[in-house]
Amino acid sequence: MLRRRHPTRFGDRGPLVVAVVAVTGLVGYPLVRLAQSAGGQAIVHAWHTPGLATVAWHTVALAGVVTAVAVPMGAGLALLLAAPGLPLRRTLVAGVLLPLVTPQFVLGYSWGQAYGRAGFSDSVAGVHWSGLYGPAGVATVLVVDATPIVYLLVAAGLATRAQPDTERAARMSGASAWTALSTVTLPLLRPVLAAAGVITFVGTLESFAVPQVLGTPAGFATITTRIYADVALGGDPATFDQALALSLGLVVLATVILLPADVVLTPRLRSVRTPQSAAVRLMRHRGAGPWVAVAGVVGYLLFAVGLPSIALLAAAVTPAIGVSPTPGNWTLANLRGLLTSTTGTELAHSVELAAAAACILTLLGTLVAMLGQRRSGRVLGAVATLTLVVPGSALAVAVLIAYGRYLAGTLTLILLAYLAKMWALALRPISGALDRLPDAERQAARASGAGPPTAVRTVVLPALAPALAGGWLLVFVTALHEVTMSSLLYSTGSQTLAVAVLNSEGLGDIGPTAALALLLTLLVVVAAGAAWGLFRLATTASSRRTGAAVPEPLLEVAGAR
Amino acid sequence: MRSRVRLPVAGLVLALTITAACSSRATGSSSSSMTLYTCATDTIEQAVVAAFEKQHGGTVHVFRAPTGQLNARVAGDSRSGGIRADVIWACDPLTMYGFQSQGLIAAWTPPTSQSGIGAAYRTDHFVGVALLYLVAVVHKGTPPPTTWADLAGAKYRNAVAIPSPTFAASALGMLGYFASAPDYGLPFYQRLKSNGAKQVDSPDEVLSGVAQGTYRAGIALANAAYAAQKKGSPIQVVWPRPGAITVYGPIGVTTRKNLSPLAHAFVTFAASRAGQTILGQHGAYPAAAGVPGPKMPAGSPVVAPPWPQLAGQSKDLLRRYAAIFPS
Repeated sequence: MLRRRHPTRFGDRGPLVVAVVAVTGLVGYPLVRLAQSAGGQAIVHAWHTPGLATVAWHTVALAGVVTAVAVPMGAGLALLLAAPGLPLRRTLVAGVLLPLVTPQFVLGYSWGQAYGRAGFSDSVAGVHWSGLYGPAGVATVLVVDATPIVYLLVAAGLATRAQPDTERAARMSGASAWTALSTVTLPLLRPVLAAAGVITFVGTLESFAVPQVLGTPAGFATITTRIYADVALGGDPATFDQALALSLGLVVLATVILLPADVVLTPRLRSVRTPQSAAVRLMRHRGAGPWVAVAGVVGYLLFAVGLPSIALLAAAVTPAIGVSPTPGNWTLANLRGLLTSTTGTELAHSVELAAAAACILTLLGTLVAMLGQRRSGRVLGAVATLTLVVPGSALAVAVLIAYGRYLAGTLTLILLAYLAKMWALALRPISGALDRLPDAERQAARASGAGPPTAVRTVVLPALAPALAGGWLLVFVTALHEVTMSSLLYSTGSQTLAVAVLNSEGLGDIGPTAALALLLTLLVVVAAGAAWGLFRLATTASSRRTGAAVPEPLLEVAGAR
Repeated sequence: MRSRVRLPVAGLVLALTITAACSSRATGSSSSSMTLYTCATDTIEQAVVAAFEKQHGGTVHVFRAPTGQLNARVAGDSRSGGIRADVIWACDPLTMYGFQSQGLIAAWTPPTSQSGIGAAYRTDHFVGVALLYLVAVVHKGTPPPTTWADLAGAKYRNAVAIPSPTFAASALGMLGYFASAPDYGLPFYQRLKSNGAKQVDSPDEVLSGVAQGTYRAGIALANAAYAAQKKGSPIQVVWPRPGAITVYGPIGVTTRKNLSPLAHAFVTFAASRAGQTILGQHGAYPAAAGVPGPKMPAGSPVVAPPWPQLAGQSKDLLRRYAAIFPS
């Protein structure tokens, strides 16, 4: 391994300066302004909030349980669907990814519609899940929400996974599939699994909609639902300041978990891929095994995605709540209600913001991930993740306090909030992939006469492409259906589609909300498909020119071929 | 390493430049425009704004959000240079009392002669322009309650949903009414809880749950309930004794520096006969007497919380309520 150079000239320090400025502007300054606004007294009061220990315990326990279940589940699905020879692979992958394009509040509602009292299963089979409204239901739906993200990260990790020849060697030497998996594949995936674990844990800490929809009726509160209740009482400045202080408590909690993980653990988990032209496939499914696997995945998809989606679709085409969704009652009124004279503008705002956030954060994520090869950069990476745990409403207030004086009412203010909130979504997968990128490949290209840009274009980018695409897609999808921050920062002229629809109907009426979910799903599928097509064209053209292998695109990695 | 890092930096600068170029311009107030913060529903607010713009000219920039988000926006404004709205149109008096106590609402209301809105919906700082009525809703086939107290009885065991006062301002008004009403008080909530009642966020969620059959009875808003019933939802709307709880939506001019000259005109218009008629036509109960609005059975009993008294007690009430229904 070649020793890395330490920066000595200003030119070398330029990227570090840019990253520090970005972290300061997007994360540090808003959080400092939030702390200043809350004030020391509020922080002390927040510490003594009645019941705080209980909601803090709920929050941490929920994050732990969801991480413990979602990471193995997402990783298992990725390993299962990565193997060739599995029937219906494309369909299964699409099903696994479906919750990714569904906003959390819609997911919570759809599960209520499917399995709650008087829901779909109750109407059809007289069966409902009495624990749905409570901690068990909240945890289950959050696992369903987190699993596709873990799946994407692990699938991308498998595409550039370390030393695939070792897996083949283990199998040829007589190791069983399980032994090869547990002794070769999983250890080499540790950086990716760690990244998935961090994102899942932090994402659950900050999750709001599902605990609010499914936890509140059962009296199950988390820190985010408590913060929302306090923010809602903004007419009382002391309570509002207390909410901001509680948000900072989440940041402290995330810091305690993330900093040691990033600074100490990450270098130990790093596993560098050996130089090679393309990844080797995992073992092929044979015999009855594939059908057993398919049955298992289909069963999960039916329960987690299928019935809730059907219930949601039924709600979208039903004229009123409680009306039977039989064909005679079907209507397009809810869908038509989404189309107003300003829908086109609002749609353009949504796509523009999501694309800008995805592009900028992919670049920023790459920058910080590359700097993260050094100790100072790892701290930057941890700091960039802190705002992910701040509830959307509190972070929007922080951004408004920090930059509202200059940018109130503009799309730029909303974009800044997106960048602050979603940085980690792009950073973590790229960082995980970069950890496995061998410097020797780039050095070989340079030694063969390639200039730095050529080496980056032909060696680094192709290897990172799946992770870059994964990070881009995660941010794009998340930003496209973001509601909380947008609805607090918009003004006339900067409305997004989700905000406009929610404003026109409110969250209480499930019909328009279901129609919105369908529209956003369609929008995401079309936009992501178009972006992916362009990506494929560009990489194919590039590989024809350079003779390098075409990078495995994310959807192919995910088995969509 | 150096070249690997420089590439994203160059891309980043390019992306930021494009984004800045594409960004929309800030919307603020000028002599021909004003900014309205409101939680009124989009249909109602848009109708009033459109009619005002047609009559007076100028442009009204609108920020519309549920009360919680509205409060957060105002708090954010106050901490970053001051309130940016010229007019605030809230959905309950307690929110406005809160803004007033922070010095955000000017001591001005349109003359009574121009509005016909009674003293019950007025203070020195704001005037109510729309009314909400909290009523009982039951799923089709469920016996309707005669009084509010019935909801805590054995007939409705594990069957009732109520909105959360920490989420919905109307539910906070309801809490204020019951807390001060004879024979009710906070023990009424304790009886509801013991009877298996569930707390959800908003009156709309209660309505959805009752219409779907998740709950057999609940407390929701009259205009939304009648609208759902008209669309076919299997519910019955009941005005229990001693009466539906009235919550008024107040409007007032802010203390913003460089207040738009349109601000006073907009408040006057919303409280005028013309403004009230438009409100009534778009699904709100007008505050002015004699202006037609949504369905309201003749002789329906109504009651009102003691708003000024509540304004100083809401925090304590919520604390005591949270001991019964935690949120």
